[in-house]
Amino acid sequence: MEEKEKKKHRAKHSGPKAEKKRKRYLSDLGIGDEENARKRNPKAFTVQSAMRMARTFHRTQDLKTKKHHIPVVDRTPLEPPPVVVVVVGPPKVGKSTVIKCLIKNFTRQKLVEIRGPVTIVSGKKRRLTIIECGCDINTMIDLAKVADLVLMLIDASFGFEMETFEFLNICQVHGFPKIMGVLTHLDTFKNNKQLRKTKKKLKHRFWTEVYPGAKLFYLSGMVHGEYQKQEIHNLGRFISVMKFRPLTWQTSHPYVLADRMEELTNPEDVRINPKCDRKISLYGYLRGAHLKNKSQIHMPGVGDFTVSDVSFLPDPCALPEQQKKRSLNEKEKLVYAPLSGVGGIVYDKDAVYIDLGGSHAHEKEEEEVRPNHELVQSLISTHSAIDVKMASSKVSVFMDSNPLGSEDVGQEFVMPKEERQIDSKTGRVRRKALFEEEEKENDDAVSDEDDDQDEEEAAMSEDGSNGDAEEESDRELLGEEVALGRAKHLKAEVAKEEAVNELPAFADSDDDLEMSSEGEEGKTALEENEMEEDDDDEEEEQRTYENESSDSEFEAASKRVAESKPYEINSEKRSQDLDHSLKRKAALTTDSGNCTAEEASEEASESEVENSSLDEGDGEEGSHDELDVEESDRKGFQHTQTKEADSNRQTKLKAVEAEDDDVENLLREEEDYEEKIDFSADTTGALKWKEDLIQKAAQAFLRQQRSTPSLRKLIYGTAVEDEDHESEDAGDELGGLFRVSRPDKASKQKANALDCSKFLIEKLQDWDLEEVMSSIRDCFVTGKWEDDKDAAKLLEEDEELYGDFEDLETGVVHKGKPAAEDDESGSEEEEEDRKTSKPEPEEEEKKKERMDKKRKLKEMFDAEYDEGDTTYFDDLKEEMHRQAQLNRAEFEDQGDETRVQYEGFRPGMYVRIEIENVPCEFVLNFDPHYPVILGGLGNSEGNVGYVQLRLKKHRWYKKILKTRDPLILSLGWRRFQTIPMFYIEDHNGRHRLLKYTPQHMHCGATFWGPITPQGTGFLAVQSVSGTTPDFRIAATGVVLDLDKSITIVKKLKLTGFPFKIFKNTSFIKGMFNSQLEVAKFEGAAIRTVSGIRGQIKKALRTPVGAFRATFEDKLLMSDIVFVRTWYPVSIPTFYNPVTSLLKAAGEKDSWSGMKTTGQLRHERGIKLKQNKDSLYKPIVREKRHFNKLHIPKALQKALPFKNKPKNVEKKGKTPKDQWRPAVIREPHEKKISALLSALSTVNNYKIRKAKVKRREQLKEYLKVKQKEDEQKFKRQKEAKKKVYRILGQREKKRQKSSLKGSGKGEKNM
Amino acid sequence: DFEASFIRLIDKVTNGSRIEINQTGTTLYYQPGLLYGGSLEHDCSPSRGIGYYLESLLCLAPFMKHPLKIVLRGVTNDQVDPSVDVLKATALPLLKKFGIDGESLEIKINRRGMPPKGGGEILFACPVRKVLQPIQFTDPGKIKRIRGTAYSVRVSPQMANRMVESARSILNKFLPDIYIYTDHMKGVSSGKSPGFGMCLTAETINGTILSAELASNPQGQGAAVLPEELGQNCAKLLLEEVYRGGCVDSTNQSLALLLMTLGQRDVSKVLLGPLSPYTIEFLRHLRSFFQIMFKIDTKTPEEEHMGGEKVLMTCVGVGFSNLSKTIR
Repeated sequence: MEEKEKKKHRAKHSGPKAEKKRKRYLSDLGIGDEENARKRNPKAFTVQSAMRMARTFHRTQDLKTKKHHIPVVDRTPLEPPPVVVVVVGPPKVGKSTVIKCLIKNFTRQKLVEIRGPVTIVSGKKRRLTIIECGCDINTMIDLAKVADLVLMLIDASFGFEMETFEFLNICQVHGFPKIMGVLTHLDTFKNNKQLRKTKKKLKHRFWTEVYPGAKLFYLSGMVHGEYQKQEIHNLGRFISVMKFRPLTWQTSHPYVLADRMEELTNPEDVRINPKCDRKISLYGYLRGAHLKNKSQIHMPGVGDFTVSDVSFLPDPCALPEQQKKRSLNEKEKLVYAPLSGVGGIVYDKDAVYIDLGGSHAHEKEEEEVRPNHELVQSLISTHSAIDVKMASSKVSVFMDSNPLGSEDVGQEFVMPKEERQIDSKTGRVRRKALFEEEEKENDDAVSDEDDDQDEEEAAMSEDGSNGDAEEESDRELLGEEVALGRAKHLKAEVAKEEAVNELPAFADSDDDLEMSSEGEEGKTALEENEMEEDDDDEEEEQRTYENESSDSEFEAASKRVAESKPYEINSEKRSQDLDHSLKRKAALTTDSGNCTAEEASEEASESEVENSSLDEGDGEEGSHDELDVEESDRKGFQHTQTKEADSNRQTKLKAVEAEDDDVENLLREEEDYEEKIDFSADTTGALKWKEDLIQKAAQAFLRQQRSTPSLRKLIYGTAVEDEDHESEDAGDELGGLFRVSRPDKASKQKANALDCSKFLIEKLQDWDLEEVMSSIRDCFVTGKWEDDKDAAKLLEEDEELYGDFEDLETGVVHKGKPAAEDDESGSEEEEEDRKTSKPEPEEEEKKKERMDKKRKLKEMFDAEYDEGDTTYFDDLKEEMHRQAQLNRAEFEDQGDETRVQYEGFRPGMYVRIEIENVPCEFVLNFDPHYPVILGGLGNSEGNVGYVQLRLKKHRWYKKILKTRDPLILSLGWRRFQTIPMFYIEDHNGRHRLLKYTPQHMHCGATFWGPITPQGTGFLAVQSVSGTTPDFRIAATGVVLDLDKSITIVKKLKLTGFPFKIFKNTSFIKGMFNSQLEVAKFEGAAIRTVSGIRGQIKKALRTPVGAFRATFEDKLLMSDIVFVRTWYPVSIPTFYNPVTSLLKAAGEKDSWSGMKTTGQLRHERGIKLKQNKDSLYKPIVREKRHFNKLHIPKALQKALPFKNKPKNVEKKGKTPKDQWRPAVIREPHEKKISALLSALSTVNNYKIRKAKVKRREQLKEYLKVKQKEDEQKFKRQKEAKKKVYRILGQREKKRQKSSLKGSGKGEKNM
Repeated sequence: DFEASFIRLIDKVTNGSRIEINQTGTTLYYQPGLLYGGSLEHDCSPSRGIGYYLESLLCLAPFMKHPLKIVLRGVTNDQVDPSVDVLKATALPLLKKFGIDGESLEIKINRRGMPPKGGGEILFACPVRKVLQPIQFTDPGKIKRIRGTAYSVRVSPQMANRMVESARSILNKFLPDIYIYTDHMKGVSSGKSPGFGMCLTAETINGTILSAELASNPQGQGAAVLPEELGQNCAKLLLEEVYRGGCVDSTNQSLALLLMTLGQRDVSKVLLGPLSPYTIEFLRHLRSFFQIMFKIDTKTPEEEHMGGEKVLMTCVGVGFSNLSKTIR
């Protein structure tokens, strides 16, 4: 730049070079450095003033503590989700160009069009999700809530625009993400000085708005439609090293910025009713907090939903595996932007295209990233499928309903068949039932494909290749997918993707699958002709069972029959068994090659509690058995039945899994144990029990051994089955609610009997016996301690450590025994043995011991040392850190599937979220330019109630807000319209309604709306539609309180008139309408307009509503009396979420909700009819006319003379002769008088001057005099001092001499 | 009966609840309101002990809008529910671990009332908290002392001493530091029915408190119980509780788990004895309500003489914060 060339040389003032120079200079002077200065002139460095020092110390400490933030537990996962970078700015400022340049900078790829979020790998540890934010205030609000970093583009040639400030204010309210300004259009400046000035001005304005020193980037000019490479590179560098502070709302709520949307609705439903609610799946990185399945979410712009299913997928844009290299290689620089068509899929308005080839990047990506690469390959290989998909993609079906190709027609033909089956079977529309049918078809159709895919899968070395589970989940998913118009071949890809994660398939989900897909599986098995003979009969049973389940009426009936417990149990068990056997079979059929391995792995994944050797089925049975046992224990009935079932099961299992020997063993054990338990249950005689106590103990131990593994299943597993069971007879309206304790009725009955938390002990152990007593001996302090905590041991160790010490009092020197000696003396033989065998280890051990000791000492020292300056803050921080470590470590070693169960889906995962009952407009009007956000809601945040806010009208908003006018709030994730009521809190805590918000003051507001945690910020706008040149944010504030009742009151004055006035008592009418009302107000304070205070006393009989009141003074008949009362205001329960995403594509920013009365009046041209009385009129005051004071004659006489009215005679006109003539001067006289007056003026002036002078002189004189006096006084004082000193000395001398003289005498005294 | 009383109690502590019971009393529709708190009084049905009501209040009290201060009247000690003494001794220290402490956390027994007529009165006060602390409570430690209360109302005061003697005879084999208070209530503070009983707590060096209790049969029901026998049985129950072990005694397992669930989004751990059926049921409810699953590891003590096996429960809190507390 030119200005740089102009710059003069400046000597360095800092840095090593300057330092050196200074030193040299100082040494030349002979002064030396600072330390020397300290030595040279110690006085200058001493404490000058203690107060001052304390103050400075205080101040520094204040500054230091001011920097502290409240420490929070760091909950960021190890692999964080991509950073959300929001590029925001007014239109035509170059947002998309910046995004494109950034993407190109990071990935060397050029994107043509950018729609929706783009995820890129920007570094070894950082990914970015870049998203553009339009000027629609809805988008701005939504994106401000999810942004981690905001790139605020500013057109330097124009300056700041309203959008910028609006966005800044939105950010401030919803937690302040990092904000970086980027100035563009700098090339428009021709004048250099002008440019510099503008830059500076903009920078300082930006700083006041964000924080002083906020980073502002300058993008100077465009080269071939792109920004300069170096500048973009720098920007990218800044972005990728940026650090972020966690924002409260974001860290406490899970959220997903969806980067892909698919529709899963059954096409038939859409065909029947194109406006039916849709089922969609959304994809994206999970951010913020852990997401739980079935939790509530809010989609800003759409509404509240319950997640129907969540699953995690392999990361489509994963960070590089190993971290050793310096930089990323080309293959690792990934881009993922499905909405923009980079992920291989392009969304068009009415079709979905898959980008097959050509694009170099795409291919690379597929090779590198996609684990499900072969699926895509298979997709690509089946070209026809693509066509199918293109044609059958949901959107096309309803957008232009006619173009269905021949293939499609065929497929459509298939669909109804399936549907028909559904209809015939069950009148109710249950998803599961649907899948059952569809799946069958699927399997037929896909079986061959599946086979080779399976092989591929086996080849794929992904996590464990749990083929079966995948298979199952596949099928289920496929079932769903089929709903998408037989586009399954293509969708298989998706399904496969899911399959990988669906295998979380641990007990419950698997069971789910089994239960749902039992029937089909059986049938498929049949069709595949690979059934084994043993199972045929069971198969039949199974089929009957299945029939039951399928046939609704019959099912209900059978259920009723099955109310008798044993049967139910039996059937259930059988079905369970069958599940397992069938599943195994299915496994056999599908992949005959490596069935055992897969089985094992699958089972491992399923039982996964601990016993990997334990077969999954067995585990299942285990839990069942326990239930049995419980039942038999409690009721002791139907044991034979269960046994039968057991034996059945055994045989079956044997047949199926002859290879697993240990399973059988376990089974037998189980049976044994069961018998024993029964035995015990039967013979609960105390004596007998005592006899075989040891045996019992052993049994108990065994039982625990057996039972503990399935403790988890006992608690959760059974519940899952219940769920299934419930959903099986889903006739009842409970829906999502499932009763937990259905099968173990015994326990339920118990619970019914008495709901008590006490853990009653059935059989008390005999605590008189020695063995039993010894079993808890060590629980007491008197018992044996563990090695590291044993007091004696510790003491010993301490002695070793602090062995050598000298007792100062006694002077005795204690010497600790050397440890080695101790060892030798203690266990010499042992040592010798060891020595002979391993002399070296011995030495090592010693060394180790020494090291240990050293370490211990060091730790102790550290601890002591640290204790000195640890503050509360440090402690807190340390604690938080520890908690964070624990959080990370706790579930680290577990597989993702298990982790998900315990802690939910953790942030950083790429998840697929299924949502049902989404309005069809969302799908129809889907526009990838608008962000789709899924914001998780906390507990009870889905509820609606009264919310109290502290609110302030924004200072830039031009109008004040009116109570009871609808207002659009953005609070939490939500945007909604509601009717707030403004109030102000009076000094006595009363909430008084306000008609308008105050101009420049906070006020309270209450509205009916979603419950949001206290402390959450919000902003209000009056409308989200259209654009106005004015500032759009009307108010900001914070949530204070949530309540179910409200306390806003408004003033109500009741007026009345006196109709009879005694002295201070008046009768007042017209205030109330009945005696009862008066009775309610007895004792209330009333007042007249003129200010006379009074009290309501008692109601009068007539007229009705009149009462007697006393006042502090007599009223006039013209007085108006009023009583001030407070009337509670009800808040309109109006809560209307802004559904801007449901608007048609072009008009998403035109959402308008309820209008204000003002708007309506304006639109319809209705004038407000004003109350005539409340209009202001000119005040007309009559001139008051007072009569003359008339004093009666008698009174006049009695008055003293002073007060008597004087008989002042009326002064008549003075007669002419008494008039004094006017003096008219002669000209000469006039002159004289003028001269005289002039002279006198001069004289006067002179006199005045002289006076002033005199005064000054006097002052001077006084000063001198005072000085003299002072000196005199001083002199005198000194003289006096001298004299006194002499006197004093004399006195002292005298005293001394006297002391000397009487010294001995004193001592003697 | 007691359910109705319980519903009334819940109605009292909340604001804006909707409760509808149909005419036959077979269905109940309950729409929860906001926990309000404040100073309240409630007459509990004498068919269940106050412990029944108090247990649920312990779960709710930290999340009220205003600190709860409630006077409950009814049966303080009975054979079914955990008595007020036990809850006072065990639940309050447990709450303290979660950061719910302060002077106002207390349970005071003003009067004792035994079944069937009751007449007892307690005061329960609890402060409110915005969030709970996560706990890591995996080492119960060794038992350092045993304390307890032997109470007797409207019977001979000698009963209490007799119970104490017999209990000590058993417990002295394990630990010398035993002190059992005798609490004989007289006059108006002794309730309306005679009875006696005893509750024992064992405190470890790490602050874990295990408890056991036993009460005499209510008047006119069942055979008379000898105080010696009762004392012995109670001591044995305590030993049984010690055998089960854990950091939280069996009565409060569910409370501990609930508070863990309602904590911040941090990992909490607690070591429990064998789970009681109530707790198991409770865990299922937790799952259905909060979508929270606990990681359950069973641990057999390494040494022989440390009692039965334990269960290590681990969970990540749901990040619950008290929505009803007002901020200024």
